[in-house]
Amino acid sequence: MPTMSTTLLPGLGVTGLVLAGAVAFATVNRDRQELDVAQSAIDAAHQQRAALEARVNELEAAHVDRDTLEARIAELEAALDDALSVEPEPAEAPDPTPDTAVLAVAGTGDIENGKALFDQCASCHEVGAGAGNSVGPHLNLLFGRKAAGIDGFRYSDSLVRAASNGLEWHADTLSAYIEDPRTFASGTRMSYAGMKDAGERRDLLAYLRVFSDNPSDIPEADPTAVGTDHAVDPDILALQGDPEYGEYLSSECKTCHQTSGGDDGIPSIVLWPEEAFVTAMHAYKDKARPNPVMQMIAGRLNDEEIAALAAYFKDLDE
Amino acid sequence: MKLNRRSFVGAVAATTLAAPMVRAAGHGKPRVIVVGGGAGGATAARYIAKDSEGAIDVTLIEPTRTYYTCFFSNLYIGGFKTIDDIGHSYGTLASDYGVNVVHDWAIGVDRDAKTVTLAGGATLGYDKLILSPGIDFVDGSVAGWDISAQNAMPHAYKAGSQSELLKAQLMAMPEGGTYAMVAPPNPYRCPPGPYERVSMVAHYLKNNNPTAKIIVADPKGKFSKQSLFEEGWNNHYAGMIDWIGSDFGGDVVEVDPGAMTVSIDGEVTNVDVCNVIPAMKAGRIAEIAGVTDGNWAPVNAADMSTKADPDVYVLGDASQQGDMPKSGYSANSQAKVCANAVRGALTGSRVFPAKFSNTCWSLIETNDGVKVGATYEATDEKIAKVDGFISATGETAELRQKTYEESEGWYTGITSDMFG
Repeated sequence: MPTMSTTLLPGLGVTGLVLAGAVAFATVNRDRQELDVAQSAIDAAHQQRAALEARVNELEAAHVDRDTLEARIAELEAALDDALSVEPEPAEAPDPTPDTAVLAVAGTGDIENGKALFDQCASCHEVGAGAGNSVGPHLNLLFGRKAAGIDGFRYSDSLVRAASNGLEWHADTLSAYIEDPRTFASGTRMSYAGMKDAGERRDLLAYLRVFSDNPSDIPEADPTAVGTDHAVDPDILALQGDPEYGEYLSSECKTCHQTSGGDDGIPSIVLWPEEAFVTAMHAYKDKARPNPVMQMIAGRLNDEEIAALAAYFKDLDE
Repeated sequence: MKLNRRSFVGAVAATTLAAPMVRAAGHGKPRVIVVGGGAGGATAARYIAKDSEGAIDVTLIEPTRTYYTCFFSNLYIGGFKTIDDIGHSYGTLASDYGVNVVHDWAIGVDRDAKTVTLAGGATLGYDKLILSPGIDFVDGSVAGWDISAQNAMPHAYKAGSQSELLKAQLMAMPEGGTYAMVAPPNPYRCPPGPYERVSMVAHYLKNNNPTAKIIVADPKGKFSKQSLFEEGWNNHYAGMIDWIGSDFGGDVVEVDPGAMTVSIDGEVTNVDVCNVIPAMKAGRIAEIAGVTDGNWAPVNAADMSTKADPDVYVLGDASQQGDMPKSGYSANSQAKVCANAVRGALTGSRVFPAKFSNTCWSLIETNDGVKVGATYEATDEKIAKVDGFISATGETAELRQKTYEESEGWYTGITSDMFG
């Protein structure tokens, strides 16, 4: 295009021609820059449009997914309801077509019995809608999860090590862990003696499996288990403890409970959420939990002292 | 500015906190000497060193390089633990907590000069002295026995070589032989200890020498956890154990270590093993320091300081404190109260009210554990019992197993709390 300037400007001297050519060149060059700017604006607008279109597509797809997921939720809820309300069937008329949804969810375990067995776990673990980490991690989406896999939960070194060696939670690994936690992961902070009965483990896992297919499996109901086995006055739960006083008081606890989090025979009490700690102590104080040593120790601690201990132990990580 | 009483008190408190009241006249850091590295002394040394974060020099004087806990030493005799399971070193106290661990005997205390003399010849100065020397035996308390007879008739009431000796003698008993125990009078270290030992000896004999017999001569008419032990002995070792209390002459005893005989209320019996547990008193250094009154050292309940000297404290078995039993758990509990008070006195750190507790677990037979425990508070007169519990007879096997497992957890917990 710059060569055009000579043909468009006849009759000028060489100098003038050169000058005019330079002026024309400058003008054209400026026009060209403006065009380039305009073109960029158009390109940007195109890109925005493409992005918007992609987003619209995404949203449309999400709607479809949501419909699918809602359908799946309804299906699973129905399956769960069926499983929980199963009536003994007459021996002479076995159902030739078992509900495949129930079987898919439950495996061969009894979900209702599993739900009852979960009471043993419920003071430390939450599962279901709204479940969060408590003394132990929440158990939603457990199946297929990498061990020690929830961000923000402080796992024992032992489980972290197992995870780095590739441990994932599936029916077989979970069953082995629940059967004898300390044999499976010697340094685990999970203070659970173990569920020795294979049938019980199968039932428990069948129940937990319900919350694990994918996020949509979590029923939109109250959490099945919140981390309390004992109702404590909200004013008591709201008390802010003095951690320095808690450290002094904790010396009594440390005669038996190890600060390392080890728990051979006596549970670990480090890194508990304050609410879970306060709830457990009041459960002993009110004799809702059975151990006489803990009933005695908690029995003479007042609300402020329990809050102080909770404030101290929540961060203790030696 | 006019000070009212409230702001005046506040100002004084603030000054105290800002400028620690260091009671270390004429030298740099305040110095604490702890004599005795057991449940009381090791715990006190560790807590003072740990919580003062270098502000206090802590020296621990303990003659043995490996400390064998008396608690669980019966389980070693029964075969449930190895001797190494109950042995602990002081390495971590030195390396991780900066405690100056001196393996020597404390043989002298000058309370005016505030110094402790060691058998090795050194003299060390202190601002606060904590004595946790455990027990020694009362000369002549069992007719015919003195410390020179402890190889023929072991006490095994200070764990270690004596425990190994007693176990070796138990294993060497002839078939159908007799194991005798002379039990101690009150007060003594570990009230259920002799009876847990009888249970552990019976467990061993039942499996290795089932026609053997156990005789216990006891100067007392009753003993700790008696109904639980008697129930267990009936259930597990029927016909093997003959307990003779003071009502039946168990308090009229004479032994002959040369002839290996025991005379109970005039009746002489030939025995193969004779476990003599004599009457006890505070470890000798408490007496040398001049803080004992009779066999034990009276202390103030609020901080375990002695009635004789506010700068000398006595912990554990050696102290005469009131209602707490003489146990490792008690000593550990008292040590923490004492450490808090000593640190407060030397550095101005916060001092909290004394709280004490104790639990004693005993093993009767495999997975048959029982426990007794109580909480205590400091009154002007003594450490006074607040509340307590004891295992019940007829408990389920499952609960008894749980109780035993709990004792294992406690053992790990308390030894971590003592040695780091």
